[in-house]
Amino acid sequence: MTIRLLEFIELAFRQLFRRKVRVILTVAGIAIGVAALVGTVSLGEGIRTQAVEAIRTQSDLTLIEALPAVEGNTLQLVTATKASAAGSLPGIKASAPLVRSTFATRGQTYVQVVGLPAGSLDDVLISRFQKGRGFTAGSNEVVLGASLGQKLQRYEGARIGDPLVLIRRTYDAAGRPVDNETRVVPVGIMEERGDDFDQILLMDLSFALSLGGDEGGYSGVLLRTTGPDQVFPVAGGIRALGLSPRGSFEQIEAVNRMMDMVVIFLGIFAGLSLLVGGLMIASTMITSVYERTREIGIAMAVGASEGDVMEMILTECAVLGCIGGICGDLLGILFAFILNTLGGPFLASRFGDAFAGLLDSEIALVTWPLLAGGLALAIGLSLVAGLYPAWKASRLNPVEAIRSGR
Amino acid sequence: MSPPMVETRQLTRLYPGGVEALRGVDITIGTGEFVAIVGRSGSGKSTLLNILGGIDAPTGGFVSIRGKMLDYTNRKALIAHRRTTVGFVFQQFNLIPSLTARENVEYPLLFSYRPASERRKKAEVLLATVGLAGRASHYPGQLSGGEQQRVAIARALVSDAPLILADEPTGNLDSATSGEIFSLLRSLNKEKGVTLIVVTHERELADYADRTIGMKDGRVVA
Repeated sequence: MTIRLLEFIELAFRQLFRRKVRVILTVAGIAIGVAALVGTVSLGEGIRTQAVEAIRTQSDLTLIEALPAVEGNTLQLVTATKASAAGSLPGIKASAPLVRSTFATRGQTYVQVVGLPAGSLDDVLISRFQKGRGFTAGSNEVVLGASLGQKLQRYEGARIGDPLVLIRRTYDAAGRPVDNETRVVPVGIMEERGDDFDQILLMDLSFALSLGGDEGGYSGVLLRTTGPDQVFPVAGGIRALGLSPRGSFEQIEAVNRMMDMVVIFLGIFAGLSLLVGGLMIASTMITSVYERTREIGIAMAVGASEGDVMEMILTECAVLGCIGGICGDLLGILFAFILNTLGGPFLASRFGDAFAGLLDSEIALVTWPLLAGGLALAIGLSLVAGLYPAWKASRLNPVEAIRSGR
Repeated sequence: MSPPMVETRQLTRLYPGGVEALRGVDITIGTGEFVAIVGRSGSGKSTLLNILGGIDAPTGGFVSIRGKMLDYTNRKALIAHRRTTVGFVFQQFNLIPSLTARENVEYPLLFSYRPASERRKKAEVLLATVGLAGRASHYPGQLSGGEQQRVAIARALVSDAPLILADEPTGNLDSATSGEIFSLLRSLNKEKGVTLIVVTHERELADYADRTIGMKDGRVVA
């Protein structure tokens, strides 16, 4: 069977060689369609990869915070059991429960406070300090995020080692506000991280719990994954626990969602040109069947079944699609190469430093699956386009076909 | 006694529009016979040949090949009949222009799933038999009319079909070449024992045959 298919393929090449100009035009039609598809999808994939890479390098991707899920209108705090379950998910290197609350300073600066176990500064948050050090367990020492530290230094004259008063406002039974003051000592300012922790005041978890606020649970759990590959599985695990994952990976998800849409829309337009290629194949094959009516009649007279005739015509279509697909893939690679060689410098020169990264990176990303997909699509489309002419050929009356002058 | 190669009874063929090509044809042709069917254009001889070859179907009567009724409603049986029992030779030669002489000869075997080596060997032997050993690699366009018809005869023989049907095989050839083709058919009939039914409107060529069946207006005449 396979050998016969190879022989049918050889016959198909011979038949196609007889109609060179028409075949070249048809192949060009498919090739342009495939090239458009490969080009646009590779462009989309290139942009997606660039964006994801930028997020990976500029943010702390392996840090995830598991937040309580909202049930109805109430936030269900994370219980110790759930925090422990989240910390035991596969792919987690370290975890730490946290509590969040809001305070104000005497200078009316609102401060977001996060309470964390002291050890987690190193193993979960992996903090580096521009000044000072981390807080110690059970103390009233605090660490300031880079932006917050700068702000408090500039506007309130806060300094490392000098006590800082945090005010938490509550209301008494009569509804009058009562300000509770807490004295803390900043012992370190973290380096800039590029995330929310730049605005945060960090203190020891037990000290934070002693100040009140979230009761009967934690505001969330901070999780450090073993690597970037574990981020999405861990996020899935967190969702399975009924918690809500937050982190830089969401930006990647957002980019992926957006790029999926972009690639799909671009692909649809490119696919339209491929559709035109398919119509050209149908037209070419209908003409070919018409011109070879007698030959098909002869084949039937010497023993070809209807299935054999269909197989012969469809093999020709598949060969056409295959040649078109390969040419289209090559054109697509050429398109991507031109885009990567000339497009990057063009954008960089046009839009300045923001696009300087494009100079030494690939705007269009051609992958093997993409090329294989382009080829498969071309062959598949050709086969579909050939169904009608093949069916028509197989239904020919041998006597009339042989008598026809064609 | 072995059954005849071909037997038809009350064979009719009515075309849409009311044209009656065959009107109750009864013929019996023995195995190994060389029979010429003669008659004017429109007498129904080609229709008869097409029905015997399984590429057309009668509207009445029956055809029996080696004692077995041919079921024209059974597509698979008809395809098997065309693959193994009959070989066609046409007036227009009807070779595939993109295939060489050898490839044209082995073409029918492609549909019988025969191995390429066997097909090639068989085609070369048959080309030698019809005197074209040196023309195997030539394309039909590079061969004369007589040579093309010899290739077509080799193609008809390649499936070892016991029955060869030739429809005006010399209709497109000059008289000298026509004589050569009929001589070749005669010798193949003698040497290979194949049954030959040749349609012709040239009475003198019919003399090569063992006997002649005359046809007129869709009926067998004496």
